[in-house]
Amino acid sequence: MSNTTPILCARHVSKCYGKFTAVNDISLDILPGTVHSVIGPNGAGKTTLFHTLTGSTAISAGSIQVEGEEVAHLPGYKRVRKGLARSFQVTSLFPNLSVRENLRLAAQGTRPLQALNPWRRPELLRAACDSAEQLLLRLNLQTVAERLAAELSHGQQRRLEVGMAMAGQPKVIFLDEPTSGMGIDDIGDMKRLIHSLRDTTTVVLIEHNMDIVMDISDQITVMQLGQILAQGKPAEIRSDERVRRAYLGSMITGGKG
Amino acid sequence: MKHFVHFRFTLLAALVCLLLPLLVGSGSLATEVLIFALAALGCNLLLGYTGLMSFGQGIFFGIGSYTTGLALLRLQAPLLPSLLLAMLIGAVVALLVGWFAIRQRGTYFVMLTLAFAQMFYFVAYTMKDLTGGDNGLLDVPRPNLSLFGHTLLATTSPWQYYSFVAIVFVLVFWLLQRVVDSVLGRTLLAVRDNETRAAAIGYDITLLKLTAFVISGAVTGLAGGLHAMMTGVAPLSNIEYHTSEAILIMTVIGGTGNLFASVLGASFYVLIGNWLSTLWPRWLMLLGFLLIGVSLYLHKGLFGVAQAVLRKFGLRPPADTASVKEQHS
Repeated sequence: MSNTTPILCARHVSKCYGKFTAVNDISLDILPGTVHSVIGPNGAGKTTLFHTLTGSTAISAGSIQVEGEEVAHLPGYKRVRKGLARSFQVTSLFPNLSVRENLRLAAQGTRPLQALNPWRRPELLRAACDSAEQLLLRLNLQTVAERLAAELSHGQQRRLEVGMAMAGQPKVIFLDEPTSGMGIDDIGDMKRLIHSLRDTTTVVLIEHNMDIVMDISDQITVMQLGQILAQGKPAEIRSDERVRRAYLGSMITGGKG
Repeated sequence: MKHFVHFRFTLLAALVCLLLPLLVGSGSLATEVLIFALAALGCNLLLGYTGLMSFGQGIFFGIGSYTTGLALLRLQAPLLPSLLLAMLIGAVVALLVGWFAIRQRGTYFVMLTLAFAQMFYFVAYTMKDLTGGDNGLLDVPRPNLSLFGHTLLATTSPWQYYSFVAIVFVLVFWLLQRVVDSVLGRTLLAVRDNETRAAAIGYDITLLKLTAFVISGAVTGLAGGLHAMMTGVAPLSNIEYHTSEAILIMTVIGGTGNLFASVLGASFYVLIGNWLSTLWPRWLMLLGFLLIGVSLYLHKGLFGVAQAVLRKFGLRPPADTASVKEQHS
C-alpha cells in the first residue's frame, strides 16, 4: 500500500433529519486498494453515512471528493459514473427479472444513455452481457441464472446483492452489511468474495460480524451517535479502551479472540 | 426463422386484424377495437413496463382527437400529417404532464394524473372556439390516403377506413414490440421492479419515466386522432376522465406486461360492451364484477387466462418476458 492519496475524501459531512443529526461532521479518507470497515452500535449513523457518500440522500453540509473531484452535489445515479457503487442492507434486487438480467442491467448502468436506445436489442450490447456472465461464475450463481431473483435463497440473494454493486466495475464499492441474515455456511463464501474485491477495487464495508471485520479490514472507523469514535488498524481498534466500552465489549473476544 | 420469436406477437396482432372483419358485422365497431387497442398499448407501456398507473391517458386521447380535427378542418392538412401532428402534440403534452406527475410516486403520482385529467377536461370545455366546447369539434373530414394526388387507399366506407387503421395498428404494434424488447424497454422493467436499485446502479429514473410517458402520449394521441376521423367528431367525451378510466380498465383486464394482452383487453371491452349494452343498459355493472375478479384472482388478465387455456390443451403458450410474478407496492 504505497499509494496514500485517498480515492475518496469526505470532509465535515453532516446529515440532519429535522432537529436530529444522524451524521455529525464526519471526515473520512478512504485509501485505494483497501478494505475500510465502518462499525458501531445500531443507530450510530453508519447506513446514513453510506447514503450520503453514495448519494442516496443529499448531505446537509460538507464535501465529498472522489479522486479529487467534488461529487457532493450529484444525485446517486450520477455518482455511479464517478466510480461509486453500493449494496443495500435490506436486499434490493429486481425481483421479477432473472438473475442474469439483474446483473446485465447493473453492468449496463455505467453507460446509462445507452439505456435510452429504443431500437437495439440488449443482447447486442456485448460488454454488459459479458460482464453479467463473468459475474454469474464469480458469484457462483450460474446454475440459477435463469431463475427470477425473487425465487433465490437468502444466501444467493445476498451474493447477488453484492454482485449488483460489482457489475459496474466501480472504483469504490460500498457494502452495507453484506452478511446480514446469512447462515454460517454462506458467511465464509461472502468473506472470501469481499476479500477478493480488494484486488480490483476499494471496499467500504459496514459489518457487524467482527470475525470478518477484524480479519479482512485494512482500516476501521468506529462510529457512535453520528460521530467518529476511533479510527485505526484492526489491532489498534481491538485494544482501544473507548471502543471496548462503547461497542465491542464482549463481541471482540466472542469473535476472533 | 430464428427471428420468429421477435415477431410472434406482431403476427398475432395482424391475425386479429384479419379475424375481426369475420367476427364483427360493423366496420366502425371493428375500427373502434383497434383504436382502443392502440390506446391500451400506450397505457400498458406505462403500467406494465414502467410501473406507472396513469389516470391521464384520456388527456392524450382527447388532445389527439382535437389536434387531428383542427388540422383537418382549419389547415386542410392531408391524412398522415394530421395524424403525425396528433402524435407530436400527444407526446409534448405527455412530456408536460409526466414532468410534473413523476415528481411523486405511488398514490400521489396517480392523484396528479387524475388532477391533470380534470384540468385538461375543463380547459377543453372552456376553449369553445378551439374545441367546440360541449358539442365537440364537428364535421371532421376523413381524407383518403394519397400521395402526390394519387389515392393509395380510400377511407370513405367504414371497412375501407378499417383497412387503413389496421395497417397503422400493426405498424405501431411492431414498433412498440420493438421498443419493449429493446435496451430501453428492458431498462424500464428495472424501473418498474425497483426504482431505488435502478437509481443505485446508475439509471436516471426521471429520464426513463419521461421517455415512457412521451412514447405513450404519442401512441395515445394517434389513437385519439384516428377516433376523431372515424366518428367525424372530436367530442368533449374523448378528453373526459371516463376515457382515461376506460383505457386503464382495458389494459388491466387484458393483462399488463405483454403488449398483445392489451389487444385482448380492448377487444373484450369494446366488443362485449357493445353486445351487453344492447341487452342491458346497466352492463357496466357486469364489467365491475369482472374487474373485481381480475383484481382478486387474475393478475395476468385475459392474457393469463389464454395462456392457461393453451397450456391445458397441451400447447406451449408464448412466454411473456415481462410478467410480474411477485406483486409489490
